[in-house]
Amino acid sequence: MIGSEEKKSRIKTIVRACRLIARMSKGRPEVLESHRIYYQMLADYYDRLLNAQEEGEFVAAHTIFFPVEILYAMDIVPMHTELTAWMTALFSGSYADLLSTSAEVGLAPEICSPYRVLTGALAAGCLPRPNVMLWSNLICDNSAKGGEPVMDMSGCSGFFLDCPFQQTDYENRYLKEELEDMIYFLEKQSGRKMNWDKLSDNIAQSDRQIELYRKINELRQTVPSPFPPQDFLKLFTVDCFFAGQPEATNYLETFHQELLETIRDGRGMASPERFRVMSIGMPPVLLLGAIEKVSLEYGAVSVADPFFCNWGEGRLDPQKPLDSVMKKISMHPVMVMYGPLDERLLDMLINCAKQHKIDGTINYAHVGCKQGAATIKIVKDVLNEIDVPMLILDCDIIDTTIAPEEEIREKLRQFFELLEDR
Amino acid sequence: MKALGIDVGSLTTKAVILDDDGILASSIVSSGDEAELSAKAALEQTLNQAGLSFDDNLYIISTGVGGKSISFSQQQKALTTCLARGSHYLFPSVRMTIEMGAESSTIIKVNERGRLSDWANQDKCAAGSGIFLQQMAKLMEMSLADMAQLSFKAKSKADISSTCAVFAESEVISHVHRDPPTPREEIVAGIYFSVVSRIMSLCKRVGIEKDVAVTGGVALNSGLVRILEEEIGFGVMVPDIPQIAAALGAALVARENIEKGIK
Repeated sequence: MIGSEEKKSRIKTIVRACRLIARMSKGRPEVLESHRIYYQMLADYYDRLLNAQEEGEFVAAHTIFFPVEILYAMDIVPMHTELTAWMTALFSGSYADLLSTSAEVGLAPEICSPYRVLTGALAAGCLPRPNVMLWSNLICDNSAKGGEPVMDMSGCSGFFLDCPFQQTDYENRYLKEELEDMIYFLEKQSGRKMNWDKLSDNIAQSDRQIELYRKINELRQTVPSPFPPQDFLKLFTVDCFFAGQPEATNYLETFHQELLETIRDGRGMASPERFRVMSIGMPPVLLLGAIEKVSLEYGAVSVADPFFCNWGEGRLDPQKPLDSVMKKISMHPVMVMYGPLDERLLDMLINCAKQHKIDGTINYAHVGCKQGAATIKIVKDVLNEIDVPMLILDCDIIDTTIAPEEEIREKLRQFFELLEDR
Repeated sequence: MKALGIDVGSLTTKAVILDDDGILASSIVSSGDEAELSAKAALEQTLNQAGLSFDDNLYIISTGVGGKSISFSQQQKALTTCLARGSHYLFPSVRMTIEMGAESSTIIKVNERGRLSDWANQDKCAAGSGIFLQQMAKLMEMSLADMAQLSFKAKSKADISSTCAVFAESEVISHVHRDPPTPREEIVAGIYFSVVSRIMSLCKRVGIEKDVAVTGGVALNSGLVRILEEEIGFGVMVPDIPQIAAALGAALVARENIEKGIK
């Protein structure tokens, strides 16, 4: 078993790397200030986690798309399980080891790789031991099962937040009761009381943040696109880690301002911008640089990521914080994409393609995602109807042995040649 | 300036030279360890046939798995782009081409202008490829041509796995050694059906659309093509030399580039 110092060293690697990136970004005019803020935020997040136990703080591990506003309102230190496992793997270059460790504890390669990495990281003792585990069915079967290994391996107690897919009055009442039960559980476990005023403040911040996400997304409609294609991942991470926190608002406001300035200067990410691409699903994170490089060779820029950037309609009301938490869950882009596959989703995709003047779509078909796989053909047919071709790029978010870099590059080249030929 | 296309495949390398009237010369040579040498060999053979030499003014486009390694081509193009051009040139009514090569199968959709509109390919498993058929022929101790002829006599087909080449091989062995053994023609028909069922799932992924052409070395196998036609529900078009469709397409792209003045 890995000792507490070694566990710390993995998290320290993330902190050190993020601090270094933030420091090196300072004072360099070619690097956006938002980039520096982002990495400083990550460093601070992991620094707090690193020292949490020694400082007597209460740590709650939680799966993806969890309403962290509640944790921050209770002064509980959050630990995002999937993203922390990813970052441990990415920053320490150990994703292959962690996948291999997960295989040793019995996880089949067909299981979604972020969850395999998470289990591998837990089995290898790379993650700090949380005080409690919170998990939910947001947004797939893997996250619904994601809490059990954490509890087994960490020996902590946990709470499963059962989140209905539909949003009728009955189901909303059910979700509200679930949230109330979770707060009761957390109060009992942590000995801390929910600070409802603080939750209201967090909701007010989240409402502003959603407004900024929408504004940023709108700016991506500009030709040429001012948006660095990989930055969708930052937006995604900021919501996962810092929803409702003032530093997230600061980051988004800075980024929004930078995009406005880029547009004002008439600058774009590709020069010339020949193809505007919509990306569906999560690209292989280790190959993001290679994907961007091939894309730019053809003047192709990803200008829309509806899975991560298309927030649903509505506002949050700080006076009704718990209702707003529920509302936010239903508005989340991933909930819109992975919720019930209905006309709402298909219309949204068509509108997104039209508004962003899309030439082609790349569907990153993560092999471990059964829900995503079920939607591929329907989405492709719908986009074909509006003459937007779609590349189905079979790949894995983390495991590059499923679809190696050269294979990804080749398929992208073929797709961009297809767009060139039209 | 002459337009020339080279398709460097895993088993064979093909070259085609065009003139104003169409295909001036073509050749097929075995691919060696080095793509560059194979491409040079195919080029040399084709140039000899056409009475040309390396010193003539040539515009070369390379494609295929080894296409990117060719130093003397002006440009590299994806196999799918070239296949679309080549099959449309051979059969202007074609809307879908099934390329069955040595190591992979590619299905492309072609629009009325001979441009690629969609594709799907299978390159993760030997099942469904030309090399798989060669292995099966070895196992059955007969030539590929004899296998094709034998398949026409089959009244039914043996069950052979379509998902894994290794399982398929052990299934064939078990059919051969069964008591009484499964009739050889039924085993062959089963092998072909397993290949075709993989191809059909790819075709359905992009949507089957008439007319359909079949290219690549496996298209020479009349027994397999017959089973493919049965499964697809209508007749397919097979060019006289199906292996050169992508090289022809590459030559057509080269000709377009010459006309557009692209260096």
